[in-house]
Amino acid sequence: MPPNRQIIELKVNGETHFVAVETKKTLLEVLREDLGLTGTKQGCNQGHCSACTVLINGKAVNSCLILAIRIKGKEITTIEGLSDNGQLHPLQEAFVNQGAIQCGFCTPGMILTAKALLDVNPDPSEPEIRKAISGNLCRCTGYVKVVEAIKAAAQNLKGSAR
Amino acid sequence: MKEYSVVGQRLPKIDAPAKATGEAKYAADLSLPRTLYGKMLRSTLPHARILHIDTSRAERLPGVKCVVTGKDTKGVKFGGWRAFPQLIDQYPLCMDKVRYIGDEVAAVAAVDEETAEEALDLIKVDYEPLQAVFDPDEAMKDGAPLIHEGVERNVCWSRFIDFGNIEEGFAQSDYIREDTFTLPPVTYAPTEPRACLASFDLSGRLTIWTSTQAIYTVQCMLAAALGLREGDVRVIQPYIGGGFGAKFELYPYEVCCSLLSQKTGRPVKMVYTRQEEFSATRTRHPMKIWLKTGFKKDGTLMVRQCKTILDGGAYTAFGPTVTFTAGFFHTLLYRFPHYKYEGYRVFTNKSPSSAMRGIGAVQPYFAGETQLDMVAEDLGIDPIELRLRNARQPNDEIPKLTKVNSCGLSDCLRKAREDTQWQNRKKKLPPGRGIGIACAGQQSGGAFNWFRTRLAFSNVRVRANDDGTVELFTGVSDIGQGSNTVLSQILAEEIGVNFTDVRITAADTGTTPVDIGTWGSRVTLQAGNAVKAAGAELKKHLFPIAAGKLKVESAELESRNGKIYVKNRPQESMAFSEAVMMAQAANKGKPVEATGSYHPEGKGIVSPAYSFVAVTAEVEVDRETGRVKVNKLTAAHDCGQPINPMAVEGQVEGSLHMGLGYALTEQILWDNGEMLNPSFRDYRIPTAMDMPEVKIIEVETYEPEGPFGAKEAGEGCVPPVAPAIANAIYDAVGVRIRDLPITPEKVLKALKEKAT
Amino acid sequence: MQIIRKLPNFEYLEPRTIQEACALLAQHADRARIVAGGTDLIPRIKLREVSPGFLIGLEGIPGLDSITYSEADGLRFGPLVTLASIEASPVVRERFNILYQAVHSMASSQVRNLGTVGGNLCNAAPSADTAPALIAMGAKLKLVAPGTERTIPVEQFFTGPSQTVLKRGEILVEIQIPDSALCNSGVYIKHTIRQAMDLAIVGVAVSVTIQNGICQDARIALGAVAPTPMRALRAEALLRVKSKDDRLFRAAAKEAALECQPITDIRGSAEYRREMVEVLTRRALEQAWDRCLSPGA
Repeated sequence: MPPNRQIIELKVNGETHFVAVETKKTLLEVLREDLGLTGTKQGCNQGHCSACTVLINGKAVNSCLILAIRIKGKEITTIEGLSDNGQLHPLQEAFVNQGAIQCGFCTPGMILTAKALLDVNPDPSEPEIRKAISGNLCRCTGYVKVVEAIKAAAQNLKGSAR
Repeated sequence: MKEYSVVGQRLPKIDAPAKATGEAKYAADLSLPRTLYGKMLRSTLPHARILHIDTSRAERLPGVKCVVTGKDTKGVKFGGWRAFPQLIDQYPLCMDKVRYIGDEVAAVAAVDEETAEEALDLIKVDYEPLQAVFDPDEAMKDGAPLIHEGVERNVCWSRFIDFGNIEEGFAQSDYIREDTFTLPPVTYAPTEPRACLASFDLSGRLTIWTSTQAIYTVQCMLAAALGLREGDVRVIQPYIGGGFGAKFELYPYEVCCSLLSQKTGRPVKMVYTRQEEFSATRTRHPMKIWLKTGFKKDGTLMVRQCKTILDGGAYTAFGPTVTFTAGFFHTLLYRFPHYKYEGYRVFTNKSPSSAMRGIGAVQPYFAGETQLDMVAEDLGIDPIELRLRNARQPNDEIPKLTKVNSCGLSDCLRKAREDTQWQNRKKKLPPGRGIGIACAGQQSGGAFNWFRTRLAFSNVRVRANDDGTVELFTGVSDIGQGSNTVLSQILAEEIGVNFTDVRITAADTGTTPVDIGTWGSRVTLQAGNAVKAAGAELKKHLFPIAAGKLKVESAELESRNGKIYVKNRPQESMAFSEAVMMAQAANKGKPVEATGSYHPEGKGIVSPAYSFVAVTAEVEVDRETGRVKVNKLTAAHDCGQPINPMAVEGQVEGSLHMGLGYALTEQILWDNGEMLNPSFRDYRIPTAMDMPEVKIIEVETYEPEGPFGAKEAGEGCVPPVAPAIANAIYDAVGVRIRDLPITPEKVLKALKEKAT
Repeated sequence: MQIIRKLPNFEYLEPRTIQEACALLAQHADRARIVAGGTDLIPRIKLREVSPGFLIGLEGIPGLDSITYSEADGLRFGPLVTLASIEASPVVRERFNILYQAVHSMASSQVRNLGTVGGNLCNAAPSADTAPALIAMGAKLKLVAPGTERTIPVEQFFTGPSQTVLKRGEILVEIQIPDSALCNSGVYIKHTIRQAMDLAIVGVAVSVTIQNGICQDARIALGAVAPTPMRALRAEALLRVKSKDDRLFRAAAKEAALECQPITDIRGSAEYRREMVEVLTRRALEQAWDRCLSPGA
């Protein structure tokens, strides 16, 4: 069977792209291979590790589980979309300054998941933070400084919101 | 102690922003024009002769550019333990037989991944199944099938260590006990599945970007496997998503990827699936440890005797090192006069066991630290007190093995005791709660030249530019532990520039000097010493120039924060960059460069220095379900003088996490050579909700062997977690688990047996 | 040996009405699968456990992702309602809290943002978490096929591991949970090794309806201990018209343990599972009862 290909419109990080994709392509594959946005990582390709987390309309989802053709009209945010003209987002800054990044492979997914959390819950408790990132597997940090970084970013964002 | 300007600072890692923004490129992120996609065909049988491989249908599939099997390779075996040729036993593609489910049989390169997958389906392999063995005891029996020709009873390697006289030791002991412990197969599970991109240029020189921790050893072995010379192979390490020992050896897929590139004339990329990353890499050595010990009734440790059977899996890999360290680590923590160890590493038809963080340490420490608690109970001595009575001391010599310089073990124990209010809580906690302690000590890299390299283990080059920047070239792999940052800090401190003036280029055999790689926690001490030496050398070029300008002797000068100045008269100074400019001019424009090397010469056969740690675990046991909750882990850690305390903490926290998984939730489940749980769903590493509260207590010592007093940091924190938890469980509910992981089922079963 | 692969070629169909969806499903039968969130189906296809030539997405059909509540009809929601929407719904939290507990325990926030209750039910894993909770609440499922429709209790939906009563062309279109005028409290206990991300080794859902301290109705539903999610009917019977009694809870728990049919697999042994059913049923009963009896329940 010849691969079914269609042109889809993807809104990624505020930019609109028209991409010819096969029906069977996951959002993860399209982001990495067709759009060159390699910041989103493939850790397991099964939805078990959340390294492939992106935001869709602000919600954290596993891009390896989503068919790209089903995302029409929705806003996709990848890690590349977080910083603004080279200026790091407070979460990125906090991760850097708190030592929450070691090998960095889980980091894009972790930061986006944290963003999704802080966007709806600007002052999360530690258990809420741990619950929110419980799907993001990390083998390097033991999550200790990741949690501290998210707390620091929350404080920072609250402060600047006043 | 001198106040440093850069060393000892909690500096954010220099590559953290790249990782936080998605800029950092890992191997799977890389591509070149016209790259082909490669895939490996793996054995589906644990032990079989290969009768015939028919690749014709695969070759004819449109989009397939190349298919290779063993006959297309040079038929050259590779392996890290080149000091003993008989241990070099792995082929890039199996020649006559397969030895485990996952063993590499063929490789394809195609225009895309789907075509490569389809091509694998079309390769037909005729196997003659052979009897397989999965248990070392079975493998050593008479009549067991031989996995490697000529290896009697499948014993890959044996190692004996002894000092003193154990008969005497036991004769002098008032109390003797012996126990057996069983340690399970676990694996690295790095978040990044490995990948490589290989490309030959028109002159026949290979460049390979690969997820590796050891570019130099990979370069050497890859060249040999391809019939090239080392200078024909350039290995570049991109950003890497976790190593832990997983990515420190040459792997067949790297050879195959290179071979496919060579044959097709196009770049070839291979990316492991998560299943392959679990089932076709390496595992930690499962071990059965029989440990017998003798004490005087006042708690003086007299003797230890140990016999360990290591399950080696199908190939040698880094097994001999583990076979040795599994015996060595019983001797590190405590002073005692009599010791005998026999270690046997046995082949079985499963994926090879090799070096994993806490190499050959987690297993013996689980045995020893658990047994010590049992001894303490029998002798009526507090477990911390018992350890203090026998604790390793600074400047001790362990007969025939090594010298220990700095050692803060006693302080670790005392601080752990203080912090957790051990005296008040032990045995006086609410029902179901307990607290336990265990210790460990870890090498700062090995001294033994298993790779038989003729070069110093660590070599670096530095170049000072007249714009004030200083470039550092090192072959060390930053695998996330922060070596790029730490080595830059060491250089900046040594030569007196700002941290922000240092530019590091690392891990590219084409441009960086040889370094034996990132493993065994060697980098801070060994590569750090090389960096410090290079810095000192660089100053020798500059200080005479500065001395001339400032009209003093070189010995009166110091440098710091980009200035060279007279000691105690800092207003008499010049800019570092100016000194560089003048040095260039004085030397006919020759760039100001220096090299530095470090080799652990004369440092015994183990390591130049050791870290120590005491870990306490506070647990809560649900007596009805057997579920164990760890509420807190405290690590009192002696890593000498931390170069970057924030990075050290990160390492400690990560090690505790790995130790926690080993203790409670991680386990490879084997069924006749098949891995039943090669996924993150079924191989359980702790999530953010499983990680307890962590407290780190710094215990300061000064390691004379290390740069600015530093030594290994963090890896030593993996081993004590499991025995601390096991000891805490005993404190909580009175049951002893001698085999890991400590699952709820095991705890419940033990509780029932105790009740009857 | 598990081999994960790229997704195969398939056609993606987007019907605009339920009838159209049923017709397509009937037409392609075994070759077609409904895809909701995809969190179970997509990984299964990657492993080639199933290889559908057609995937049918229902997101083009209006109304399948809404949640409605009324005292008369109770809670009704469509098969495309995500686990996250259930988790965030105030009415679910207030009046159908056991479903909140079950959903809150599932997978990761990322999977919950995509996955659906409908998908979880139709995937029909014996360890599915939504099933015991829904069974404990007496929930029903509305199924529509070309020309027919029927509504069945959730516990009758499953016929075996990954198998349901869905006929050719039949689609789950609504989940209906009756409201209770009396004090009703439900507790879902999911027994796992890790504190997140794990499939249940054992799932116990208990719901009790109490009036004046007497149990009017009790439901005990178990997951991961039988080929399908199941009700422990004999255990339930012991509790009706009784008042709070520790010995009674223990007896009911023991009965539930005898009723289940666990197997040994990579997550646990049959014996351990059976024991956990007993321990956790007792605990769930105690907790559920207390919630009704304590002030502010």
